[in-house]
Amino acid sequence: MPEHEVELWTTVLFNKFLAAPLTSFLTAIGHPPADPAHPWENWITMEILVVVIIMVLFAFLRSRLSVDKPGKLQLTFEAIYKFVSGQASESIDHHASKYVPFFGTLFIFILFMNLIGVIPGFEAPTMSPAVPLAFAIAVFLYYHWMGLREQGVGKYLAHFAGPMWQLAIIMIPIEIISHFARPLSLTIRLFANMFAGERVTITFLSLTYLVLPAVFMGLHVFVAFLQAFIFMLLAMIYVGTATAHEH
Amino acid sequence: MKRKLILAAGAAMVAASPIFAQTPAGGGGGTDWSHPFAYLAMGIASGLCGLGQGKAVASASEGMARNPGAAAAIRGALILGLVLIESLALYTLVITYVAK
Repeated sequence: MPEHEVELWTTVLFNKFLAAPLTSFLTAIGHPPADPAHPWENWITMEILVVVIIMVLFAFLRSRLSVDKPGKLQLTFEAIYKFVSGQASESIDHHASKYVPFFGTLFIFILFMNLIGVIPGFEAPTMSPAVPLAFAIAVFLYYHWMGLREQGVGKYLAHFAGPMWQLAIIMIPIEIISHFARPLSLTIRLFANMFAGERVTITFLSLTYLVLPAVFMGLHVFVAFLQAFIFMLLAMIYVGTATAHEH
Repeated sequence: MKRKLILAAGAAMVAASPIFAQTPAGGGGGTDWSHPFAYLAMGIASGLCGLGQGKAVASASEGMARNPGAAAAIRGALILGLVLIESLALYTLVITYVAK
């Protein structure tokens, strides 16, 4: 969909040194790249860079953890953890702490990926439709797996029939379609927000300088935080409804 | 008064008829209708999204004014509602890019 394909410096590096392994891997799984000399695309190299940044940050945090004298980094991440687990216990009836690692990872990963797009010379991986799609599929599989594990296969599938068995014949198609609409809406929401944010900033940059594009870039940063939070919140709601027991 | 307004709107639309003279963007035969319709669709989607979000903010503000103790919960519901309504307008934006 984006017609520009300017290669970022990370993509140039990856294509220079690691083009052959990726081309042979993609050809082996049946999807040979359009240009065998440049199989790496911006979004995958940016995503790998974000993964490396997050791992370095958390390794650094891990080495600085202290019970008596917590540093600022530890306090920040304790606040983030409290936020995520508080939100999870609001949405999920019981054993919410089992699911908190997944939600915390979702939130921090998507947040870092959204924010790295603000820095010039870097591009948000969530701007390409492939990355939010991968997250949406992961959330879809996760909440169905958690629902099946929590309630057993028979009881979980019986949920699709609705409250009364007489309604099952119309409820089951409606439920199936709405369940498949969830990853679609998650993908498009995240992708369109990030893509539109960049486009709006570029449009205003082409019109005027200095103040007005900066205002829209600030809006884009706010939207980045909000979209990461909403993705996590919707994942929690889906897990909550999948694992809910009627008492 | 109402007839005058309708006549004025009709006159404005007729005055916009030079739009038919623009060269089609697609090159070879036939006019490309997907561009103006895509803009119109985006305008309608954004307008209706604005109406929906306005209603949501109005109810949330009124609720927070009546019950300041519940402000945090109302604000949470407000943010969730706004984002879900916003995403409907964004689906139309995606279609706009696909149509081009």
